[in-house]
Amino acid sequence: MSRSLKKGPYIHYKLEKRVLDNIESGKKTVIKTWSRASMIAPEFVGQTIAVHNGNKFIPVYITENMVGHKLGEFAPTRIFRGHAGKKDKGKK
Amino acid sequence: MQKEECFYFGKVIKTHGIKGEVSIRIDADQPAAYKKVNMILLDINNKLIPYFISSLKLNVNKANISIVDVNSVEKALELIGREIYLPLEWLPQLEGNQFYFHEVTGFNIVDENHGKVGTIEKVLEYPTQAVFQVFSQGKEVLIPINDEVIVQVNRNTNTIHVKLPDGLLEMYLSS
Repeated sequence: MSRSLKKGPYIHYKLEKRVLDNIESGKKTVIKTWSRASMIAPEFVGQTIAVHNGNKFIPVYITENMVGHKLGEFAPTRIFRGHAGKKDKGKK
Repeated sequence: MQKEECFYFGKVIKTHGIKGEVSIRIDADQPAAYKKVNMILLDINNKLIPYFISSLKLNVNKANISIVDVNSVEKALELIGREIYLPLEWLPQLEGNQFYFHEVTGFNIVDENHGKVGTIEKVLEYPTQAVFQVFSQGKEVLIPINDEVIVQVNRNTNTIHVKLPDGLLEMYLSS
């Protein structure tokens, strides 16, 4: 069952406050959070949020296409080891 | 040719038709860049054996290929499941701030404010982005790879100049 529209998306209040503080001050300070269930709001775009994966913080740079997803989706809790010889991947 | 001199290109998944054609799955960011490949290396008992391609029909990330001297279903069946490699020099050259993840291992990371941060141990790939894994003062630092952070890639000095987001380095070093 989906979350009630009346309540709006879930965003942890401290996380939301820190993002709004960042926007107000014009800074892009990294925000640490354990709240993997928080939804990414449009205001988050351009911020770097360090999401805890149970072991360490994964820095996630928020882009437009992440809006509506939850932070936890971008910080996997399990390690996927791809093919060792795969060298075609890169920043392009 | 050794595996270290090659990159993983894909896998033979099934036979196609009755004339010995096989279907391959291409595991590359841009499969269309490999339309004109005329030779592949198949991993057979940990040895890379070259096979020459007579025709290649690309379909998104799959392709049907005809291999010279493989002209029956029986011969094609022997190739099912084999990993395909290509020589490293066949990778399209990247310039400027573009780079392959395997080529930046060992590069130094230099931040605009903090100076030298450390050396890239490896690149960790996450669902939507990748991060550099760097060890600074014996602690692991993860640096997101995106245009906001990467300022310049200097291949001559094996250095990547970055502009780290405020508080990122402190967060890892203080933990």
